[in-house]
Amino acid sequence: MSDPQRPTNTFCRRTRREFLWQAGAGFTGLALAGLLDGDGFFGARAYGAHKAAARLNPEEPRFAQLLPKAKSVIFLFMYGGPSHVDTFDYKPKLYELDGKTIQIKTFGRGGKKNEGRVVGPKWKMKQYGQSGKYISDLFPNLATCVDDISFIHSMTADSPIHGSAMLQMNTGKILSGSPCIGSWVNYGLGSVNQNMPGFCVMLDPTGGPISGSKNWSNGYMPASYQGVILRSAGEPILDLKRPDDMTDPMQRRLLDTLKDFNNEHEVSHEGYSELSARVSSYEMAYRMQQYAPDAVDLSKENLATWDMYGLNDKKTEEFGRRCLLARRLVERGVRFVQIYAGGANNDDNWDAHGDLVKNHTFHAGRTDKPIAGLIQDLKQRGLLEETLIVWGGEFGRQPTAEYAKGTGRDHNAAGFTMWMAGGGIKGGTSVGETDELGNAAVTDRFHVKNLHATILHQLGVDPNRLSYFYGGLDQRLVGVEGAEPIRQIIA
Amino acid sequence: MMGKDMAKFPRRKFSRPAAVLGGVALLCALGTFAFWEIRSAAAAEMPKTASADNLKLFDQQVKPFLAANCIKCHGGETKIKGGLRLTSRDSVLKGGDDGAVVSLDAPDKSLLLAAINYGGEIKMPPDSKLPPDKIELLTKWVKAGVPWTAGVDLTPAVLAETPASGRPDPPTPEAARKSFWAFQPVKRPPLPAVKDSAWVRNPVDAFILAKLEAKGFKPAPPADKVSLIRRATYDLTGLPPTPAEIDAFVADQSTNAYEKVIDRLLASPHYGEKWGRYWLDLVRYGESNSYERDNPKPNVWRYRDYVIRSFNDDKPYDRFVKEQLAGDEMPDAASSYDPIIATGFYRLGIWDDEPNDRLQARYDGLDDIVTTTGQVFMGLTIDCARCHNHKIDPILQTDYYRLLAFFQNIRPFENGGAGDQTEIFDMPGGRQAYDAQVASKKQQVAATEARIIEIASDFIAKYPAQAAIYAKLTTERERKRKREEVAYGRLIFDEGELALGHKESEEYRKLRRELDEEKHPPDHARALCVSENGATAADTYVCLRGNANVPGEIVHPGFPKVLADGDAVIPKPAPGAKTTGRRTVLANWITSDADPLFTRVMVNRIFQYHFGRGIVRSPNNFGVQGDRPTHPELLDWLASEFKADGLHLKPIHKLLMMSNAYQMSSAVDEKALAEDPQNNLFWRFDLRRLTAEEVRDSILAVDGSLNTKMYGPSIYPFISRGVMAGQTHPGEDWHTTGTDEDNRRSIYVHIKRSLPVPILQAFDAAETDRSCPVRFATVQPTQALGMLNGTFLNEEAQKLADRLKREAGDDLTKQVTLAFRLTTGRVPTQPEISRCLDMMAAMQKHDGATPEQARKYYCLMMLNLNEFMFLD
Repeated sequence: MSDPQRPTNTFCRRTRREFLWQAGAGFTGLALAGLLDGDGFFGARAYGAHKAAARLNPEEPRFAQLLPKAKSVIFLFMYGGPSHVDTFDYKPKLYELDGKTIQIKTFGRGGKKNEGRVVGPKWKMKQYGQSGKYISDLFPNLATCVDDISFIHSMTADSPIHGSAMLQMNTGKILSGSPCIGSWVNYGLGSVNQNMPGFCVMLDPTGGPISGSKNWSNGYMPASYQGVILRSAGEPILDLKRPDDMTDPMQRRLLDTLKDFNNEHEVSHEGYSELSARVSSYEMAYRMQQYAPDAVDLSKENLATWDMYGLNDKKTEEFGRRCLLARRLVERGVRFVQIYAGGANNDDNWDAHGDLVKNHTFHAGRTDKPIAGLIQDLKQRGLLEETLIVWGGEFGRQPTAEYAKGTGRDHNAAGFTMWMAGGGIKGGTSVGETDELGNAAVTDRFHVKNLHATILHQLGVDPNRLSYFYGGLDQRLVGVEGAEPIRQIIA
Repeated sequence: MMGKDMAKFPRRKFSRPAAVLGGVALLCALGTFAFWEIRSAAAAEMPKTASADNLKLFDQQVKPFLAANCIKCHGGETKIKGGLRLTSRDSVLKGGDDGAVVSLDAPDKSLLLAAINYGGEIKMPPDSKLPPDKIELLTKWVKAGVPWTAGVDLTPAVLAETPASGRPDPPTPEAARKSFWAFQPVKRPPLPAVKDSAWVRNPVDAFILAKLEAKGFKPAPPADKVSLIRRATYDLTGLPPTPAEIDAFVADQSTNAYEKVIDRLLASPHYGEKWGRYWLDLVRYGESNSYERDNPKPNVWRYRDYVIRSFNDDKPYDRFVKEQLAGDEMPDAASSYDPIIATGFYRLGIWDDEPNDRLQARYDGLDDIVTTTGQVFMGLTIDCARCHNHKIDPILQTDYYRLLAFFQNIRPFENGGAGDQTEIFDMPGGRQAYDAQVASKKQQVAATEARIIEIASDFIAKYPAQAAIYAKLTTERERKRKREEVAYGRLIFDEGELALGHKESEEYRKLRRELDEEKHPPDHARALCVSENGATAADTYVCLRGNANVPGEIVHPGFPKVLADGDAVIPKPAPGAKTTGRRTVLANWITSDADPLFTRVMVNRIFQYHFGRGIVRSPNNFGVQGDRPTHPELLDWLASEFKADGLHLKPIHKLLMMSNAYQMSSAVDEKALAEDPQNNLFWRFDLRRLTAEEVRDSILAVDGSLNTKMYGPSIYPFISRGVMAGQTHPGEDWHTTGTDEDNRRSIYVHIKRSLPVPILQAFDAAETDRSCPVRFATVQPTQALGMLNGTFLNEEAQKLADRLKREAGDDLTKQVTLAFRLTTGRVPTQPEISRCLDMMAAMQKHDGATPEQARKYYCLMMLNLNEFMFLD
C-alpha cells in the first residue's frame, strides 16, 4: 500500500456506483445495497477500487453488520424550537425564580447575554406512567405514552440560528449543500417499495421551513435520494395526476407505444443499461399513479382510528391526517418520513419569541393527540418495534425572557430535549441533564451527530462507516470524526 | 445555586470536526497566553516534579484515572482525538492540534485545566463534567509539574505495535514533486506507432488507437451522418440540429462537409451558452445566497453574460482565469468592464447573513474561495487541508493558509454593499453624469439633515422634559449629540404633534421619509465584484483545527509546497492602490508554466465534455486520491497543443471533433464489451443522455417556441404552487417574466438555491453550493411523472402538435415524419409510421380521444422517446 501512485480510494468507485444507479433505476432497491456492499460501499474500509468483488479481507463485516431494530423512521420535526423547560425538562427551581433577573450566559438570535429575566415555566408538570416521568400539561395525551418514550435532555447543536440549525438537524452540517438524513438512509438501505419514494416529507399548511428545499435536499448525492414532498390532500406527489383529458387507457396506449419504440432502440444499443432502466422507470411511474393515491386514502381507515389521531376535531385534524398518513407510509415500506409541525415564520411554528403561552398552547394543542395516536396505533399493530419515532426541533429555548416584557424565549442550542420512541429504543427512560435552570446541557451531553448516529444505528447501519466519497473526502452524515450512538437509550 | 457552573455555556464538544463554528471563549479563558511560548517550555526538565510524593500521586491516582477516562480517545484508539496523546509525559507536554495543553510556567492557565473546568471552548470529557474531586486531582497534578514515573507508557499494548492509521502517510511535498505524475512539467510526447495508420486522422487518434491495438480491439465504425451532426450540434450548442441543417449536411458530398459543420457551430453564439454553462457548474454559480432568506444576489447575471461572451470570443484561457481572480487589478480594467465583472467569481457562493460566529463565517467564505480556486483552476483538493495536513495528498495545512492569504484582504460579501458592487457605465460621459447625481444627492441630504436638526432643536425647546435635560448640557459636543439623538429618535415621532403642532411635525415626517430616499445611491447599472480593504492586508494565521478563533503561526502568501518553494513575492503596491496586488501574483502563477496542472486540468475538462468523461475521471482532483489518466500521453499532448494554440479553446474543440475517435458510432463490439464494459479505452463513442438544460431547451426548440434571445437578467419560468409550498413564503423571490421570455434557454433561468426548477432538478442540474465538475445522469420515476403528467410537458406537446399541423398539413403520415425529424433527426421507417398512426387511431376508436387529443398525446410520446433523450 506504500505506492503513492496507486489510489486507495478513488472516483472509480463512484463511477461504478453511478453505473449501478443507472442500472438500478428508481428509488434504489435493496438489491442495490447488496451490490454496493461488495463495492466498498462503506468507504472507510474500501479497497476494491477496481474490481467490484475485490475484498482483501473476507472477514470484513457485511452490509448488515448491525442487527437492524427499525425499518423506518418517522421524524416529527417541531420546527422553530420548542421550549424544553415548558414541555419535558422539569426544572422546579425555575418556577420559583419567575420574574427575577439573574446572571446567566445565553446565546440566541439576540446575541450573547450575561444576564436575563427568568420566565418560569408556564405549565405545571405532573408525573406519568411507571417511569414517573414529569410531563407538562401541554401534552395530556402524549403523557400517557411516556413508558414507550426515551427522552434525551442534554441535546446540543452548533448554532442557535434557525437557518444553520435547521440545516444541521437535517444534514449534520451548518453549511448548506449536504444530503439530508433521509437521503443518507435511502442511500444506505435502499427502498423496500419500488412504488413509493423512500424519503417522504410532509409540510405544514402554513408553508415550508426556512431554507425550503435545502431541508430535503440530496446535496451532493444523485437526485434519486432527494426527499419527495407528499401532500395529504389533493395530488399527493407532484405530477402524479394525469392531465384532466387523459384517461387511463389513453395513457396506457401511449406508454405501450413508447415501450415498443424504446425496446427497438435498445436492441441497437447494447451495453447501455440506462436505456432499459428508463423503460422500467415509466412502468414504475405508472404504478405509482395507482399506488400512491391508495396509500394516502385515509377513507380506508375506520372511525376508531380517525378518533385516535384526532381527525374528528378541527384543532387536531390537519396534523392528525399527516400522522396517520405517516403510519400508512411506513406500512408500505417508506424508509424515512418527515412531518413538519409548524411552517413559515414566527408564530406559525414553535418560534415563541413573543407570547410563549399562546404559541406553545397552539402548537402543542394541534399535535399532542395525533402524536399520541400515532404511538398507540403503531403499537397496537405491532409496528412500533420496527418504526423509530423522533421528536424535536432544531434547538430549544432559553430559561430567560428575550425582551423586557412578555414571556417569549430566545433560541437555545446549548441544551434542549428531543425524544425517541419505538424502533428498539428503551421506553420509559431519560438520559442527560441540563443545569438547574435548563440553560445548558451538563450531564451526558449529546450532539446532533449522536442523534443521527442513533437513528442510523437503529436502522442497522454503522454511522461511522456509512460514507459517500465527495470533494476529496469520504463524507459521513456524522462528520469525518465520527460519532457514537446514544447507547443509554437503546434497548 | 447560581454558582459558577450556572454560567457555563457548553457550545461544542472537543470531538466535533474542527471546521465548524467556534467561539472566542477559549481565548478569553486563556487571556494573553500564547501557544508558541508554551511549546518552548514543553521541553523543560522536571524541576521538583519527581519527588516521591508526586510520583505516588501519579502512580496511585492520576495514572489509573487517565487510563480509565482519557486514553480511549487520547492514546488508545486508532483515531487520536484532537491530535493529543496522554500516554507519556512527553506527549502530554507536546500537546495536540490546539497547541500545548499544559503550561509549566503558568499551570493555572493550562488548556487542560480550562477544559476539565468547562471554562472555555473545549470541554473535557465531552459528555459530562468531572466530579469536583477528580478536577482537584488533575489540578494538583498539573500544578505539581506533571509528575510521571519514568518508563510508564499508557499506550495499550495491543496498539503500541500498529500504526496510528490504517492508511499510508501521504508522500512529502518534496518527494511528490519529483515522482507524482500530475506535478511533473508537461512534456509533449512523441506520437505512438500504430498498425492501422489509415484510421489516424489526427494525433488524437494515434493515442487512442495505440491502446486499442494493444488490447486487440478495433475502433467502432464511423457514425452515420444524422447521428454525427446531432452529436456535434448538441456538443457545441446544446440544441438539436434543424431538419434543414441535417439535410444540408447529408446532401453535402464534399470532403470537408463535416469540417464546415464544425466551423459553423464554433461560430454560433449558442456555443457560448452551451460551454458557458459548463463553466458555471465549475464555479458554483448560483443567484441567491441559501440559508433562511436565500436572497437574490444583485446583478449576478452580468457574470453569466461575461462567461458566455468570453467563450464566444474564444478568450485565451489564461486571460479568462486572470480576469476572474484579479480582473480588478488589471491595468486595462479601465477600458472594459469585463475584468471587473469577472471578479463576481468571488461572490457566487453560499453566504449566511446571520451566522452563529461571524469570524468563523468569514473563514467559511474564504474556504469557499480556496476550495473553488484549488479544485477548478489547479485540480487539487487543497480544501482538505483546512484543519490538518492533507491525509492523502502532499498538501500541508500551511499550504492551505498560504493560499488563503492571497484572499485575506478581500472585503467580506454583504450582498450588495459598497464592497461587492460597482457602478458600470455603458455610455460615454456616464461616470461624470453619475458622479454629478451623487454630488447633488449629497447636497440634498445635507440640506434635509440641516432642516431636521432645526426642527429637532425646536422640539427640544418646546418639550419640557427634553428642554430640562438639554439645559444641563455644558459642552457643544454634548449638545450636538443630544440634538442628533432627538432628531433621529422615536420620541419626536410620537410626541412631535403635541409639541410642534401639526404643520411642523408633518414636515418633519416628510423630511425623514425623503432622507431615506436621498441616502439611497442613485439607481444605476451595477456589477457584482470583488474589492479589498486597501493596500495592506491583515496577518494570516493558520487556524488550528480549522477554528478561526484559535490562531496558530503566521503565514505569508505562497503556492503549494509541492509545486513551489518559498513565499510568493508580492510587489509593493503603488501609492494610492486600492488592493494589495496579491491576487494578481496568484493569477500569474496559476496560469504560468510553474503550475503544470493549469493546462492539464482544462484540456481534461474539454475532453470530458466531448467524450463523456475525462482522461482523468476526477476532473477536480488530480491528486493522489484522484484517478490516474487512462491516456496520460494524450493528456500531455493535448496540454502542449493547448499551450501552442495560445490557450484558445476553439482549436482544441476542432481538433477533438475532427478526430476519428470522436466520429465513431456507438455500435457494440462483443469482444470489447466483454473485456472493457466501461469503455475505458474508447473503442466506441458512448451514448449520453441530454443534460437538464438540453432536455428543456430541446423540447422548446422542437415545438418551435424557443426564444433565442441572449444575455440580460434572469427569467422565471412557471413553478407550480405545489412546489412553491415548500418555501417559507410561497412564491417569494420568484417573479414572472411572461411566456415569451420564459421560453428562453435554460442558462438564463434564475438559480434560486432553495427553489430549483423541477424539470432541471429532476434531470440532474448542478448542485450549486460547491463546484460541480461532473453531473449525474440519474433515471428515476419522478422524471417520468413530470415527462408524462407535468404542466410544462403537456403544454409543449400541444405546441408540437400545432406545429405539425401547421407545417405538415393534414396528412398524418407527413405529421409523423416531421415529428421524427424534429425529435430524432431521422426519417421514420414505414413500420414506425404505421405504429404511430395506429396509436392515434386506436386512441380515438377505443379510448374516446378526439383527433386533437390523439395528436397531442402522440407528440407527448415522441418527447419521451429514448432516442430523443439520448445522443448517439
